[in-house]
Amino acid sequence: HSCPMVLRIAELTSFGAGASASTHQPNSKFTQQELPACKPILTPKWVISVFLLVGVIFVPIGVASLLASNKVVEIVDRYDDACVPSNVTNKLAYIQNSTISKTCRRTLKVPKDMKQPIFVYYQLNNFYQNHRRYVKSRNDQQLRDASKANETTLCDPEKTRDGMAIVPCGLIAWSTFNDTYTFQHNTNNLSIDKTDISWKSDRDHKFGSDVFPKNFQKGPLIGGKTLNESIPLSEQEDLIVWMRTAALPTFRKLYGRIYVDLKENDTITVTLDNNYNTYSFDGKKSLVLSTSTWLGGKNDFLGLAYLTVGGLCFFLAFAFTLLYLIKPRKLGDNNYLSWNRNSAGH
Amino acid sequence: MSLYNVLFTSLPVIAMGVFDQDVSARFCLKYPMLYQEGPQNLLFRWSRLLGWMLHGVGSAVIIFFLTIASLKHQAFRKDGEVIDLSILGATAYTCVVWAVNMQMAITVNYFTLIQHICIWSGIFLWYLFLIIYGAITPSFSTTFFMVFSEALGGAPAYWVVTLLVAVAALIPYFTLAVVKTWFFPDYHNKIQWLQHAAKHADPEEELGVVLRQFSVRSTGVGVSARRDAKLVRTNSKVIHADSSSQSQATVELT
Repeated sequence: HSCPMVLRIAELTSFGAGASASTHQPNSKFTQQELPACKPILTPKWVISVFLLVGVIFVPIGVASLLASNKVVEIVDRYDDACVPSNVTNKLAYIQNSTISKTCRRTLKVPKDMKQPIFVYYQLNNFYQNHRRYVKSRNDQQLRDASKANETTLCDPEKTRDGMAIVPCGLIAWSTFNDTYTFQHNTNNLSIDKTDISWKSDRDHKFGSDVFPKNFQKGPLIGGKTLNESIPLSEQEDLIVWMRTAALPTFRKLYGRIYVDLKENDTITVTLDNNYNTYSFDGKKSLVLSTSTWLGGKNDFLGLAYLTVGGLCFFLAFAFTLLYLIKPRKLGDNNYLSWNRNSAGH
Repeated sequence: MSLYNVLFTSLPVIAMGVFDQDVSARFCLKYPMLYQEGPQNLLFRWSRLLGWMLHGVGSAVIIFFLTIASLKHQAFRKDGEVIDLSILGATAYTCVVWAVNMQMAITVNYFTLIQHICIWSGIFLWYLFLIIYGAITPSFSTTFFMVFSEALGGAPAYWVVTLLVAVAALIPYFTLAVVKTWFFPDYHNKIQWLQHAAKHADPEEELGVVLRQFSVRSTGVGVSARRDAKLVRTNSKVIHADSSSQSQATVELT
């Protein structure tokens, strides 16, 4: 057992210390390991009250989270399959053909009253923005600094075109989402606020206000959005939003905000341009309109998880109380020592 | 980032290794049977080590999947922002730091001021690091630039998820620890109950008698067992030599 050995080591160190410097206290509480301490032990009272406390804290938080999630009104409309005309057999060729008009009209019905601000997102499924090579395929110096425009390390294969550097380089920028949406509310035009959709720190510190797109999407393969060369990167908010790589293969990105209240059973007509190619990898595209609460969007899982953990703790508290009352083993009883139960005893 | 992982979670572990005492020195000397935990290989058995490893893997699985399931594709703030790779990473990391430090708090038997300092400062330093590292220019901090100050700090969802995941990761261990010390206690657990009970009554006398009887039990392993076995062998040789010489003597006499 380590106890006596620790005492010996403490004595040795204290004697050594005493010998080397007379200012050291040879037998201080620290070296003798006799610091004032509390020795917590798992008494029944303690254990049951801890479980009860966790249960009492978690269940209300779970209820509050579920209530918040239920208050969120969300409209999700998948359109990538419906917006391809039914006579098209080769979807990939269809989407890559830039001569065909890709305009599509969708009708959405508002299920419950939605109070402004209403957030418009585009949702992609099966799109791995968290792929390691994809995440690295950008050059932050080039994005930030106009003088570093020729820095294109790590941007393979979108580094240079015709000997000149691409700004912004890399696969992330090259594959920017390029579907557009316009809305009509009960035959009135609905305006979308597309400002302030990106994080302020990105606009101010990561994308330069003097960096302009150059040589962008000029190659044979166009991966996504083309950028206006007269607008600096810090104002290209769709690009900034897209370049903040998502964590999971199913993700949403903010497209804009609507500052109009929508009533139940209103009709929203969406005129969208189905440009983005998700057909080559079985991806899905959806348009999402959602309200938000203090917890964010619709998130039933958080509330349910809290209720589950709280309920589990109540159950464990109950179980331990029962065990303690029904089988009150004397907690210092010798017969329950692990090696004593198998051996013959003395 | 992995370097900082060592920093944030190593200090409480070191403090535990140096300062933890499961039984006080006085009780150690009083109950020498505690020493048997060494030769009986009770503390470093493979089953115990594998149990701890399994606990580590299980906690990691709980933390990872709970964090991902709680922060999916929907917005996580009132202003409609969604998560990205760095936000999810920072949240999961926070949950790990909390879970590990709280695990220390549950496991430690001897809570000195130093343990308190190590555990609470470990957690505090993590938040401090997030703020400071996030304030460094993005050419150095890249994706973690302002991740706490701008995105996470003001998001109630972040704190709610941290609380859920940290507690959920600890419940299995806590339950097992209670079951173990209540129903399958080791010797040092029993001495701890004694220490605890001794503050209220004085059961030392009567329990001491029982325990001292117990400590005279013969064992099958260790130095004392080998010495006893050797004694038995030499004794039996002596007895046989004696009896043979005695029988020879009697034969000679007759």
